[in-house]
Amino acid sequence: MIGCYDFCGHYEWTFAWLDRQGGLDMVRDYWKSAISDDSQLHARNLIVPEGLEGMKKYWLHTLEEEAAGYAFTSDKKHFRIDMMDCPSKGFLIKNKLNQYSDYCDHCIGWIGPVMKDAGYVVDHEHNHCGQCWWEFRKKEDSTPPSQPGDFSGDKDVRQRPDWKQPEIDVFQRATDDTSK
Amino acid sequence: MISQPPTQGEQASSLPYQDTKPVGAPDFYFAINATFQFIRKRLGEDGLHRYWQDLGDTYFQPVTTAWREKGLPAVARYWRDFFDAEPGAHVDVGESSDAVEVTVHTCPAIAHLRAGNREIDPNFCQHCYFVSEAMAAPAGLTIRVEGGNGSCRQNFFAPTATTEPQDLRRITSCA
Repeated sequence: MIGCYDFCGHYEWTFAWLDRQGGLDMVRDYWKSAISDDSQLHARNLIVPEGLEGMKKYWLHTLEEEAAGYAFTSDKKHFRIDMMDCPSKGFLIKNKLNQYSDYCDHCIGWIGPVMKDAGYVVDHEHNHCGQCWWEFRKKEDSTPPSQPGDFSGDKDVRQRPDWKQPEIDVFQRATDDTSK
Repeated sequence: MISQPPTQGEQASSLPYQDTKPVGAPDFYFAINATFQFIRKRLGEDGLHRYWQDLGDTYFQPVTTAWREKGLPAVARYWRDFFDAEPGAHVDVGESSDAVEVTVHTCPAIAHLRAGNREIDPNFCQHCYFVSEAMAAPAGLTIRVEGGNGSCRQNFFAPTATTEPQDLRRITSCA
């Protein structure tokens, strides 16, 4: 049986397997069709109708279940996640599992399409070391992403001494993984 | 299920990949099911079988190594540790000199998918045969699965010349 305990390991392995079958197009199709539209239906069913409130409900449930090190910040227009210790990437690092070129892209690969359908855009950065941040705002809202510390204060992951890494991927007003 | 505590000199768990939390997050069963459905739609039934076999051959290679080196006791230990880490599992692992029998009273994946009102891949339970056979064969073992759709029996043993191949019709559809 394939289990959920080491899910992130065989999930990451699956990206590399799909890449060998059909290239990046198949991997992106997988994140959109299998994960965003199917697996994460429970996230869609909260976020698309409820917006910011649905985001809080979904991520509170799932990040607690996955035992993540994270912080939420929100106001009436924005929702932000600071991820200090991603349980998913952390599992891969701890177990030295690295089959796919950029595991972290899977998150925006499924979250982006959900946000698009909910009418939101995504500002996001990840440092490939289990740390990232996300800001979600309505697509009509032209407010730029916050500067370090301005919105989430001392919880802002960008203020950590270990945030800066050689490669930080940046997404601005994105709804998929193609705008890196 | 209740595991025996490790004896002196034994590792705390035989699982090859270790997490910081004791059990997995059950919503990941949704992704496992969605992955099977996606691969079947894009690559067909043969593609899905190939995915399962490749997963068993490569990702689970450390398990195969342990089974090859330590035989059936390692098979029994692995499945006890495995189901201890799967939320909602109710499983007994029986061990004799020539076989290990895994009796799944409550499959945690099927139970969670049903509770979440998910459409379960009709051949979801076949993955247990294909993945485990790919893990077992290089260790000189084989598996036969009977039942499915929430409960099943899985037997691991060394094949003989008269061992019949797995009949996939004995694995219950989830349709």
